[in-house]
Amino acid sequence: MSGLRVLVGVKRVIDYAVKIRVRPDSLGVVTDGVKHSMNPFDENAIEEAVRMKQKKIVKEIIVASCGPPQAQETIRTALAMGADRGIHVEVPAGTDANLQPLGVAKIFAALVEQEKPDLVILGKQAIDDDANQTTQLLAGILDWPQGTMASVVSAGDGALTITREIDGGLEDISVSLPAVISADLRLNEPRYATLPNIMKAKKKKIAKMDPASLGVDITPRLKILNVVDPPVRQAGDKVPDVSTLMEKLKEKGHL
Amino acid sequence: MLGKLVRPVLQRCAAARHISTTLLPEDIELLRTTCWDFAENELKPIAGQIDKEHKYPTDQVKMMGELGLMGMVAPEELGGAGMGYLAYAVAMEEISRGCATAGVILSVNNSLYLGPLLTNGNDAQKEKWVTPFLDGDHVGCFCLSEPGNGSDAGAASTNATLRDNGQYELNGSKAWITNGYESEAAVVFATTDKSLKHKGISAFVVPKPAQGVSLGKKEDKLGIRGSSTCVINFDNCMIDEANLLGKAGDGFKIAMRTLDAGRIGVAGQALGIAQASLECAVAYSQQRQAFGKPIASLSTIQNKLADMECKIWSARLINWHAAKLKDDGHNFTKEAAMAKLVASEAATYCAHQAIQVLGGMGYVSDMPAERHYRDARITEIYEGTSEIQRLVIAGNLLKEMVQ
Repeated sequence: MSGLRVLVGVKRVIDYAVKIRVRPDSLGVVTDGVKHSMNPFDENAIEEAVRMKQKKIVKEIIVASCGPPQAQETIRTALAMGADRGIHVEVPAGTDANLQPLGVAKIFAALVEQEKPDLVILGKQAIDDDANQTTQLLAGILDWPQGTMASVVSAGDGALTITREIDGGLEDISVSLPAVISADLRLNEPRYATLPNIMKAKKKKIAKMDPASLGVDITPRLKILNVVDPPVRQAGDKVPDVSTLMEKLKEKGHL
Repeated sequence: MLGKLVRPVLQRCAAARHISTTLLPEDIELLRTTCWDFAENELKPIAGQIDKEHKYPTDQVKMMGELGLMGMVAPEELGGAGMGYLAYAVAMEEISRGCATAGVILSVNNSLYLGPLLTNGNDAQKEKWVTPFLDGDHVGCFCLSEPGNGSDAGAASTNATLRDNGQYELNGSKAWITNGYESEAAVVFATTDKSLKHKGISAFVVPKPAQGVSLGKKEDKLGIRGSSTCVINFDNCMIDEANLLGKAGDGFKIAMRTLDAGRIGVAGQALGIAQASLECAVAYSQQRQAFGKPIASLSTIQNKLADMECKIWSARLINWHAAKLKDDGHNFTKEAAMAKLVASEAATYCAHQAIQVLGGMGYVSDMPAERHYRDARITEIYEGTSEIQRLVIAGNLLKEMVQ
């Protein structure tokens, strides 16, 4: 298998190490002035595409992101990791919270129509909404096979063998191309963007478009009613022996 | 065990710091992220150990080479990353925040060794002495100071005499040479014509090891202990004329210009140490309780943290300004001296106060505050003492504001 063209999706999210704060209106979290980076699972997605390119299985990597103007930085990071060119489907700043998996999947379906890749790789889920839906929705819209939660991807003759991480353990499936894959954390260890590659990325092209020009309606189908902090963890009780423990558990209705 | 408690908080504090950098262009912010990640993952975990063992971080330097850091200021045609000094200042800070020793190795190779070669070397010299020294496997060093003179660089007594066979014979000793042991090439300043005083100093590239080159014992330093520092002796060391950098007599100018640029790097290193100290102090003060609440809520601690943050940002902005002036082709001598002066004093202040915030824990090696204190101290001394920086600043200021 060689000469494949891959479309990789990346999302700009709040950095995983940041302490999240709920907005005063309880309809979301504070994003203004907060450090953002590429969704960690998307780093795995890009890394896998770059590795396949190094093995000559892939010949072109197109990286796409749907988001506000700053999403360009995330695309640039992907270019610095080894993607060849970028597509920025831009939405106005501040409206990106309204972008939901169905809308994004439709955008990617339109990009697939435009770019005709052999393979689409997305991150398993975004760490802000934890939806884990876009890959599956996209595969459904395109009527393409899907390999989600991939922790190993190997290229065979005209098909990919994918090891999926599932509740019971690991599952191996064979997926014919074209297909959609979602990357899990253990798929690979993403590389650092080296300085020469950062310099090269400056010259790589990022095409700009918007959902309307792709004929996609991104009106949200879900409405967020309320966002609250998880309850503060209460202190536990120490009991002197097992019989007291049993009593307390019965008292609280746990038994 | 307190160390374990502090680590996750440290990462959150550090991540939060990235907020305020809408001041940097996109590619340099990307570089900063790479360096920050590298420092967190590869340098921070080993910094304490290499300090205790006085161990040169060979693997980490190699990785920095692979990332393109060790030759970041060299142009792409020679195999470098072709980045400017603003990028270099940012990289130096993030690397040094993880490990000050890695920072000094990075700075000596980029500014002090590659610097003179890039500005004054001819094509043959660049091919031989720049290109192989970019991958982290081979590093260079810079020999200006001598046992008899540091600040008084013009009084160099090491001499290079042109012999009948067309070679120069090098005799003398150079002191305080960073990377003395690991380097495979040295930029050496020696007097070729004593009658011309400082205009009679020339710069040479000397390979190591070589006939007539010997190393003194490794200095037992207070800080940056992973890097080797020693005396290098030259005894009838013969060097080809092809190793002369620029023309005979250019040496002093080359040295001064090199140090100007090097100061931006050292300021970056000092900022990294200062930032690491601040993060250590903030994290500790949020965990440590006294009088029923975290000490971070006490105004006496808050005063220290505020002063540390102000000094760091002031120094950082002067350094970025100096770097930008250089990148844009302007005169930056005064600003680089200001940056190095202010950043090094910020580093010693922040390291000192970090120990104070940590109390007894600041005095033991379980916490990195004592290592930052020892690492910070040299930044006020090398590449021009604070006293020399003040002379440079005042000299330039008086020229600018001549009445």
